[in-house]
Order: sequence, then C-alpha cells, then structure tokens
Amino acid sequence: MADPVSTMPLRVPVARPWRMPLVVGVAALAVLAVGSVILPTFLVNNLIRSFLYAALALTVDLLWGYTGILTFGQSAFFGIGAYAAGLVFVHAGYSPLLAAGALAAGLAAAWLVSRAIGWLAFYHGASPLYASVVTLVLPIVLVQAIYSGGEFTGSSSGLSGFDSIDLPLEAWFFIAGAFLTVLAVIAWLFVRSDAGRLLVAIRENESRCEYLGIDVSRYKARLMDTCALVAAFAGFLFACVQMVVAPEYAGFVFGTELVIWVALGGRGSLLGPIVGALLIDTGSAYLSGDLPYIWTLLIGIAFVVVIVAMPRGLAPLVADGVRGMLPRRKGPAPVAVTFVAAPARERDDATGGTARPALSLRGIHKHFGSLKVLDGISFDAHAGELLSLIGPNGAGKSTLMRCIADGAQRSGGTVEIGGAEIRRLAPYDCVALGVGRKFQTATVFDSLSVAEALRIARYRVARPSRWQRSTTLELPQPALDVLRLTGLDRIPEQQCRYLSHGQKQALELAMVLALEPRTVLLDEPTAGLTKQERTQIGSIFVSLATRYRMCLLLVEHDLDFVRQISSRIVVLHQGRIVMDGGVDEVVNSDLVRAVYAGESHTGTAGTEGGA
Amino acid sequence: MSTSSAVDIGALQSGYGEAMVLKGIDLTLARGEVVAIMGKNGMGKSTLLKTLMGYIRPKSGDITLFGERIAGLPPNRIARRDVAYIPQEQALFQDLSVEENLKLALARDRDFKPLFARIDDLFPFLKQRLRQKAGTLSGGEQKMLLVARALIRQPKLILIDEITEGMQPSVIERLVGILTRERDRSGTSMLLVEQHVHFAFAVANRYAVLELGEIPAVGSTADPAAQETVARFLSL
Amino acid sequence: MLNLGLDIVTTAAILFIVSTGLLLVFGVMKIINFSHGAFLTTGGYASVIVAQAGLGWWWSIPCSLAIGFVLGMAVERFIVRPLYARPLDAILATWGLGIIVGQLITLAFGRGVQMVASPLSGAVHWLGAQYSAYRLVLVGVALIIALALGWLLNGTRLGLQTRAVIMNEALARGLGISSARVRFITFCTGAALASLAGCLITPLASVDPNMGVAWVVGAFMLVLVAGASLVNLAVASTVLGGAQVLVSTFVNPVLGGLTIAVLAALLLRIRPEGFARG
Repeated sequence: MADPVSTMPLRVPVARPWRMPLVVGVAALAVLAVGSVILPTFLVNNLIRSFLYAALALTVDLLWGYTGILTFGQSAFFGIGAYAAGLVFVHAGYSPLLAAGALAAGLAAAWLVSRAIGWLAFYHGASPLYASVVTLVLPIVLVQAIYSGGEFTGSSSGLSGFDSIDLPLEAWFFIAGAFLTVLAVIAWLFVRSDAGRLLVAIRENESRCEYLGIDVSRYKARLMDTCALVAAFAGFLFACVQMVVAPEYAGFVFGTELVIWVALGGRGSLLGPIVGALLIDTGSAYLSGDLPYIWTLLIGIAFVVVIVAMPRGLAPLVADGVRGMLPRRKGPAPVAVTFVAAPARERDDATGGTARPALSLRGIHKHFGSLKVLDGISFDAHAGELLSLIGPNGAGKSTLMRCIADGAQRSGGTVEIGGAEIRRLAPYDCVALGVGRKFQTATVFDSLSVAEALRIARYRVARPSRWQRSTTLELPQPALDVLRLTGLDRIPEQQCRYLSHGQKQALELAMVLALEPRTVLLDEPTAGLTKQERTQIGSIFVSLATRYRMCLLLVEHDLDFVRQISSRIVVLHQGRIVMDGGVDEVVNSDLVRAVYAGESHTGTAGTEGGA
Repeated sequence: MSTSSAVDIGALQSGYGEAMVLKGIDLTLARGEVVAIMGKNGMGKSTLLKTLMGYIRPKSGDITLFGERIAGLPPNRIARRDVAYIPQEQALFQDLSVEENLKLALARDRDFKPLFARIDDLFPFLKQRLRQKAGTLSGGEQKMLLVARALIRQPKLILIDEITEGMQPSVIERLVGILTRERDRSGTSMLLVEQHVHFAFAVANRYAVLELGEIPAVGSTADPAAQETVARFLSL
Repeated sequence: MLNLGLDIVTTAAILFIVSTGLLLVFGVMKIINFSHGAFLTTGGYASVIVAQAGLGWWWSIPCSLAIGFVLGMAVERFIVRPLYARPLDAILATWGLGIIVGQLITLAFGRGVQMVASPLSGAVHWLGAQYSAYRLVLVGVALIIALALGWLLNGTRLGLQTRAVIMNEALARGLGISSARVRFITFCTGAALASLAGCLITPLASVDPNMGVAWVVGAFMLVLVAGASLVNLAVASTVLGGAQVLVSTFVNPVLGGLTIAVLAALLLRIRPEGFARG
C-alpha cells in the first residue's frame, strides 16, 4: 500500500537544471549574510540551532518522505557527531588539528554505526516495520551507552564548558545557514535528477525494482550511510557552536520530533520539512516559555490530525494555495524525453540453436509445509522458443515462474539461466544472468512518468545521472517496438497512474525488455486485455521470439491465445509435467482435454472422501 | 427487477483497479434454481462471485438479492442475509477444530447441536471428528466440511467456486447427491462456478457461459445440445 | 540464588502483564499501538486519583480498567480506524496520541513524580530468603490475566470470532463476522489491559507523566518476537526478561535495560517470525 504522498513537481528548465537551484542558493546565502547582522541576537541564536535541526529534518525527509524508510534514528547520528566534538574537546582540549580529528572520528563512527544498522534493517525480504524498529532501538541504545559512560561521557548531565572554534555568533549563523542551504540545493538537484526518481520507485514498488535488477537493500543502506554522515556533521557543528552536549540530543524523543516536523511540514517535499523544522523549533523557543505544556500539546494534536486527515502535510496545501494565487507562469515545460535505439550489445551465442539452452530446469520441487506444489519439474527451453505453460488452477504454474526468477524460492532442484546456475541468488542477481519477469498484475510506478519508469528499468545497464535530467533515453529495439506499437512512445511524460490497464501492461513489458534479457517470463500477460490488445501483444511476443531470438516462457489461461502464438506447450497438472510437445500434438491430445474437463485423476495425488 | 428472484444482476461491471474483468453481466437466478457458471480460467467467474459476496465493489450495475439491493455492502452483511459462500482458495481455518469451523458460520453457538443434527447424516464422518483440527482432515474431507459449513445454517443462497477441483470421482458423486437433495427438499438457490461439465449438469437447472467478462450463452441443462455448446466454450 | 530466580519470574510476570494488551491489538489488527505507553500512564494516574480520593488502593483496578476501555473506544474510532490501510502511519499517529495524553496529564497533575503507597508492603520469608510480597502477588496476577484471556479467547463466541479474524480476516467476514466490531472490542480490551498494567506497576515505581514510555519499546519488542500467541508471549517474557535480569545483576544495570531491545532485534533479524511456529 503506497503512502498517499505526492512529490511536488518543480519546473526545471531542460538545458540547465542546475541554474534554478544555484540562483536560489546564492540568494539564500546573501539573505543569510545580511540577516546575521540585522536580526536580533536571541533570534540569531535560535536560528543557528534551527538551521542544523532543519538539515537533520532534510535527511529524514529523504529517507522517509521520498524512499519510505520510517526512521527514528537520525538523532543518534547527530548525537555521535556532537559527542565526538564534546569528548575530544573536553578530554584533549581544543586545537584546529584536534577539531579536524574530532570531525573525522565522528564521521567514521557514524558511518560504522550506519553500516551496522544497514545490515540489520535492510535485506531482501525485510519488513518495513522491522526496519523502523531497528532505527528506534538505535538511539535508545546510544543514550544508555552514554549514561553508562560515567565521568567520561558526562552521563546524564552531558559535557559542557569546553573550548571550541572561536567565531562570532554572526559567523556561526552564516555557517549553519550555509550548511543548510548547500545541503538543500544538493538534495534538490538529486531528487529532481534521473537517479533521484529511484527513491520514489523504491517507495512505491520495491519488489518491482528488485526484479529490474536493482539491489534495493544495498541502495537503502547507502542512502542511510550518506544521511548518517550529514547528521553527524550537523551534530559536530552543533557542539562547536553550543559548547554543550547532552544525551537528549541523541535520544529517540528527539528522533521522533524530527519525524513530526517532517510530517507537519510535508513529507517528500524538501522545502516543507525545512520550513516546518525552522518554524516549530524557533517558534517553540518563543512560545513554549509562555505556554510550556500547551505548546507541545498543540504540536501533538496538529501531528495526529495531519497524519490521519492530511498525510501529505501542510506544505503542499500551502503550496497549492500560493500557486493558485500567483498569476499563471508561462514556465518551461517539464523535461521532454525522446526515446532512441540503444546500440546493440554483443552476445556470445547469437546464433542460438545448438548452443546451450536459455533456460534449464532439473528436478524442481517446492513445498509449503506438507503441501507439495511442484514435484520434479525438468525441461529445457531454447532461444527463439515461445513456450506456453498451461494447466488448471493450482497446478503450480505461477510458483514455477517465481522459482525461476528468484533463487530463494524453490525447495530443491537446479535452475540454469544461460548455462549459469542461479543457486540461491536474489531476484536482482537473477536479472543479471539474463532473465526478466513480468508480473501478472501490471506493477508500474504510479507517481513516475512513462519515461522515468523506463529509465529506472535501465538502471542496471545505464546508471542515471545524479544531478541532471537527460532528454534522451536509450532503449533496446524490442522495448521501442512495444512502445511504438502501443502508442506509449508518444506520451513519455504521462504519469503511470493515469495509464489504462492495457497501457500499464505494455509499459511493464517494455520495462522488462529494457533490461535486455535473453529469457522473459510472462505471468498471464493477457489478463484484463481487450481482444485487440491481445492480438497486439501476441504479435509482439512472436516477434520477440523469432526476430530477437529471445526465449519466452508464458503462463496463460487463454488457450486460443496460446494455440495461436506458441511454438511449444508444456502442460502442468498437480505440480507435475503431464505433457510437453508441439502445439498440434498437445491441443489434440485426449489427456489434456481430460485434464481440463476435470474428469481424470492421476490417482497418486488423489483426495479421498469421507467414510 | 422482480422480487421473486433470488439474485438479479443487471449490467454489472466489476474488476480490479482499472482492469475490467466483468464487462456487463445480466443474469437472473430464480428462487430454488441452480445455475452453473461455466467458462475457462481467467474469464471472470471468481470475480463474479466475489463481487456478489461484497469483496469487490462493482464499478457499475445492479445486484439485487431477494429483492434487496446489495451492491456495495461488505461481505459480513451479505453473509448475514443467509448467503453461504465457499471460495476457491483456502477456505477453512486450519488451526481451528471442525466444530469451531462450523460454529463460526452460525449466528448463535447454542444453535449448533440442533442444526448439526439435521445434516450429520449427510456427513457421517464429521461426527467423530468434531474436536479434530480442520487441517488434519484429508483433502476430500475438508471439501466436505466446507459444504457442511455452508449447509448448516440453512442458507437461502449458496455460492460455490470450483469445489470439484482436485476431487475424486466418488466424492463428486456424493456431492451431487447432497446438493440435489438440498435443492429439491429445501428449495435453496445456488450459483455454481464450475469447469466440471458432468457435475454442473447433474446439479444445475440452467447454465451460463462466462467468456472474457461477458455471457455469450445461456440455456437449460436439460437441453440435449447444451453439453456440446458448453464443451465448445471450454475446449482447447 | 533463590532471589535471582524469583527476580526472573517476577520480571517475566511484570513484562507479561504490560505486554498482553499490545499483543492482542497486534494480533488482531496487525498494527503496533504506540499509545500503549499513554494508556499505561493513565492507569498509573488512576491509582493517584483513587489515592487522592481517599479510597483503598484496590479501587484503582476497576477504575483503571474503566478509564482505559473508554479512552480506547475514542482512540479506535477516530485515530486507528481511519489508518487501517496505513500501518506505519498508525504507529506515528498513536505515538502522537501518546504525546497528547502525556501533556494533558502534565497539565492536570503537574510534571512531578508521585508515589503511590503499595497495598502490600513488606516481604515474604521463604526458604531462607526475603522477597517483596507485592512482586510475588504480581506473578499470581499475571497467571490470572493469562487464564482469563485464554478463557475469553477459547471459551467464548467472541473469542472464537477474534481468533478467526486473527487467522484470516477476509474469510471470517465471508462467514458473517463483523471484523470491524471485533477490532473495536479488541482495541478497547487492549487499552483497558494497558491501563490495568499501569496501575499495577505503580507500587513498584513512581508515577510520572512519562512512565509509560520506558515500557513501550520493551513491550513491543516482546510482541514482535511473540507473534500472535499468548503462550509465546509468556515464553518471550521469561527468556528475554530473564536475560535482562541476568545482565543487570552480573554486568551492568544500564546495559540490562537494553537487553530486551537488543536481543529481540537480533533474534528477529535471524528469524523474522520470532518464536512463532514456521
């Protein structure tokens, strides 16, 4: 179930994507410079702290708002950076060298901890709840570690009174503000870039990403590493300017406050969390003195109301309101993408035929507890073959497909793709061996456009840029054929959620073909299609097999469709292959007719009635 | 829309997300009638039953149950209108006992003894196994338990989704006997989704073929040409 | 040695009492109710109210149950039900609720720590050891709660329906069971149990507006490890609670407080189903 979040579309000029952020960034720096001088000291003091907190909120937004990783642990990394400074300055004194050393130590420690968290929380099949739990336990453990450190860590009272970098308040204001600004600009460029769309793709459909060859767990872990380093840096700066560190800054209450600010500000919008953090933190400095518990109460109420009733947060509402009030800008159109043919990659067994089979199964079996779903499945499939897998419900067809594309699924037997055994490889590694799987229900990425979704599919082959938005997208010829035949090539900017069912099916097929697989697994590809769409997709499949020499494995119920396009049919019944042969042979066989009419029983797996 | 019919379906469109599986279904089931919905896989048979039972909200069209509009009601409300549903996928609580599985279908626990007594001659093996966990029964026995659970509360309408799948011929015969007795003695209306032609024709009064979300053929099962018509739609 | 054993048993009992409400809600509704801590706190303050009213401590039991149940009704209706399809958001919203309740209690009672007199002071002499009588009584209470819940789940119609909903909600609805009603009653019961637990632990520790927070994380790690089974929860409480006691006694009390969370996280990493059967 996808979160009801929208990423606010920012208009980005095609030619120079870095121009707008740069301009805004420079303007912000100018404002900061001026502000440091003219604003009252109390405000300056608070804003320094708020800027650093806003930077933290930004990291939470990247992790949670964009990627869907609910984390309570960013405060822990902040605390690590702060305590690195505090510990070094208290116990070893201050010098520029020691400061650099403290920063390095803080960053290194944060990185190590993040790796540990990544190992715990992000692995193939991990539940999001568990990942959040781990991020919750982290700050708790850290705080307890601090408490148990006694005199050395200052325990519950923290460390204070140490010397640090001697700069006037105005300079710190500028530094903290610049830190936030630079971070925001980089984050802005990143999320709008081609690579940044992957965050949204992961949040919306992690499984699909894995089957497109993307190691999602590793990606999340790397993202968390980066955010941990940023948080530690912010913590270091914080300790330097405040000259006091306390366990509360590393604790989970603070960690949840960050989440609250992001939720209220507007998750997945970058600007929203920044504004939210600034307003609430600085606001509370002014207001909570007068109404101590009421302020926190109001924030709590606002938070609950927003989560229940306005999950996108307040920023998008404000933004919509502002946009409605401003005169309509004749701004530049969103990035227009054209599809071009990718250069053909060389293949080692281009002739197929007598070369080793594209797919080889030996003795596959799969059981769920005592229920045996697949029992000794063995067959070979070659390049250029269009093999249909048919059989009554419960025969094990979809299970077999899963066992081919995901090494961890089967209970026994071997699967070879292009001669290489898949052993226990995860789906994204199986993709590397040359197999692509198209799911039965068209799973695309609702919030992304057609072009963006296809670019994600090319991730393995062509890494997208981390700061630019390219205007061309190279796709292999088969994928282009699908797009042209179904008209998708004319609507590259259309958001996937507005596509018709047939279009989504076609897009998913194009995405799978974009992987340049040699074997394609198709799970009930005609489900829900109109007659015309069925004919279209049937001709596509035939051309994939005959023209591009791919090996296609189809699970289908529409037997007319199967009869028209297949070169070979395998019939599955109660987990076993009962027939494997050419189309005419199978279609006219009595055995198969009986299997479908339900009148025959193999006897061995039969069910007995009652006494 | 007559109030004397059991089920009245008018221009029903239903499906998942944007996939329109049922593209305009019209069907009437008279009281006491048994209709077999036949067709190959993927044609929308299960979707039809799920929509009737309230698991899927129809996109458009009407469903009337015993004169009452039910489109949009949740499954538990529909079940309480004396509708029994036997789904195709795992339909028993494997870790609960046979008795508990049966009791769950009843409105009151204390009705169990008298209601069970009415049907235990149909399912003699169940009496000794009331305390056994449902998961320990054999496949055929589990299917029989499903039928018992449907019958025990004397429903006015039974929806059955491909129950004969994986059943031995002898058990199928017994089931034919049970269902025809129910139909004749109690006047229970039934909708059977089936691919097993012999079973369907033995129990049903009429058949309707579902193909690609539409009903291209209906007729009486007594009609000599009926079996051939249906076989044509089901064949390879 | 005997003291250590009793420590383990009584700690397990206390953890069990605190966690059962959370387990019920998690099993039936598949969400983690982070406002569990808030309900614990309200139960604690129920004891304070009863003490301030001059009544005997034992009155706090029905008082806390009632407050928890009523509060639970409002929370389920307005916060949990709308978030049925968004479990991560449900965690956040219930956490936010916890903040709200904490602040309301602070406004009403002040943020100071309160002590509530134990109804059973003194120690019991047994086999040469002295042990807190109240803690021993809590073991009995844990047993009573376990048996009562067991009876409710296995011996009543509602309990049967609840077990059915836990196993397969769609199937249960198809049989006529209103899963919305089951969820509602489950949540209220879970909230009442949390409140009861809060009042029961007041004689052992002080009462303050944030007392529940410390227990929530430990409770919910236990629930994740236990799955949907009361028996598993008892096992988890004993094993993990025992580990906590051992670490606190022989290593470091601060690290002892971490044992449950860390052990549970590692356990779930290796075996995501926890103690549940395959």
